[in-house]
Amino acid sequence: MLLAIDTSSLVLSCAVMDEDRLVAEWTVQRKLTHSEQLIPHMDALLREAGIEKKDITAVACAAGPGSFTGLRIGLATAKVIARIWQVPLIAVDTLEGLAWNMAGADAFILPLEDAQRGNVYAALYGAFEHMWLEAPEAAAPVDAVIEAAVRHGGTVIAVGECADKYKEKLLAAGIRLAPPQNRCCRAGSIAAAAWAKWQRRETADPMTLVPNYIRRSEAEVLWEQRHPETK
Amino acid sequence: MKILAFESSCDETSCAVIEDGRRILSDVISSQVPIHRKFGGVVPEIASRHHIEDVLPVAEEALSQAGCRWQDLDAVAVTQGPGLVGALLVGVAAAKAAAWALGKPLIAVNHMEGHIFANLLQYPDLEPPFLALVVSGGHTMLVVVRDYNTFELLGQTRDDAAGEAFDKIARVMGYPYPGGPHIDRLAKEGNPEAVHFPMAMAKEHNFDFSFSGLKSAVINYLHTAEMKKQPVVKEDVAASFQKAVVDVLTAKAMAALEKTGLRTLVLAGGVAANSGLRASLEAACGARGVRLCRPDPILCTDNGAMIGCRAYYMAQAGDFAPMTLNADPRLPFLAEPVK
Repeated sequence: MLLAIDTSSLVLSCAVMDEDRLVAEWTVQRKLTHSEQLIPHMDALLREAGIEKKDITAVACAAGPGSFTGLRIGLATAKVIARIWQVPLIAVDTLEGLAWNMAGADAFILPLEDAQRGNVYAALYGAFEHMWLEAPEAAAPVDAVIEAAVRHGGTVIAVGECADKYKEKLLAAGIRLAPPQNRCCRAGSIAAAAWAKWQRRETADPMTLVPNYIRRSEAEVLWEQRHPETK
Repeated sequence: MKILAFESSCDETSCAVIEDGRRILSDVISSQVPIHRKFGGVVPEIASRHHIEDVLPVAEEALSQAGCRWQDLDAVAVTQGPGLVGALLVGVAAAKAAAWALGKPLIAVNHMEGHIFANLLQYPDLEPPFLALVVSGGHTMLVVVRDYNTFELLGQTRDDAAGEAFDKIARVMGYPYPGGPHIDRLAKEGNPEAVHFPMAMAKEHNFDFSFSGLKSAVINYLHTAEMKKQPVVKEDVAASFQKAVVDVLTAKAMAALEKTGLRTLVLAGGVAANSGLRASLEAACGARGVRLCRPDPILCTDNGAMIGCRAYYMAQAGDFAPMTLNADPRLPFLAEPVK
């Protein structure tokens, strides 16, 4: 059984999956403090579902992009648990996890997470008989992302917290919105994506895994602007 | 009892295994000081990124040096605060995950209490009651340690911490972060009577400190000299500034010993490594027949060992943390136990 967690956004979600069966999922969208609530939620999830810790044979985690602090809380937790239990760790791209919310939709999926100041973390996935990455992820202004999605053509469905935030813009551009229950980050989808990765032996090393921030820290960027000679 | 302790409050990722409170089986410290130097101080986001990269390898190294496995641990401890929130959160998440995965109790430690307890690791025979002078980049305070779990705060700084003033003045003089050691080195070569800087609150009959006025006076002195194109003897400025700080710390510590009747003074925090402070306290304590304790420099820096030592005595008192524990960047010194 695979235990999956996602703390990459304001959503706090954990799930247990057994091959192609979602055994349990706990998803809360109430701006809870991830640091306080993640372990209690995982503990309650296992207890209420009658699963023992020793039944867990793999751990998966949303590894970014997303909130820097949220990613670190999730990853620190997942890395330590996987290492202590000596089970495989699977890092799932947050945007890929969101795309799995709409697996089999016969459409292109546009996951959008908040990158602040009018920017989004975005990618485009093909969700047909199989799932594939159609356009690579990047942090970009939301208008540019919408324009590129329209240019790509076909049926495009937006998911993620910024599908809510930029609802009007997306609808005006002819991009559909996933229904609310499929729009937010869900550990069930992280688990589904992780299961596929596990079958392909795509596991991560807990000793070296770090979040996929996409962006460097502001201090580094500013420092390089002030010291162009070091480039 | 074996405790694995995590410390990640600022720019060191550290894990230690401590046995029965006093025996350091391992104390692994991964310092980011060189990384933050070019920025002139600790950059919180960069510190957090290094913590998440280092936390597990450092924990595994601590276990391996201690010759034990995760399953051999009896409890897991972590610095809850004070410190940088993003940095603290990495240690807190890792420690909570470890305690939960192992089914072992969790202990939340106040970083400043940890600094005081570093003395218990240095001196195996040291026992409360004693007076503690805590001097670091974020704190300056006088604390009575009545017993292992009872502290009284006699006084603290009303503005800047002493270490903060050291770092700021070093920066104005053109020295890289952390500047405290540079001031200490310069002061050894200078004349402490060369410049007269105000000794803040030295005359007041309490145990509070204030260093922002002194800091401004020194910076004004440097700026005025620069504008008037007057030569500055850095060594003299450093020596005079350091003397002003050391004198007030020594005077208040001695007054606190007198008031409490305690016969032992322990020094704690990063500034405990300052040679001027050490010499002044040694002389003053020697004259009074008071025992002065001071941890080795490695135990004065942020380290997991001191957290593990503090945690042991909390465990003895049954003071464990719930799984809802969160980091608290402004955790007060005499915080209520975690509910």
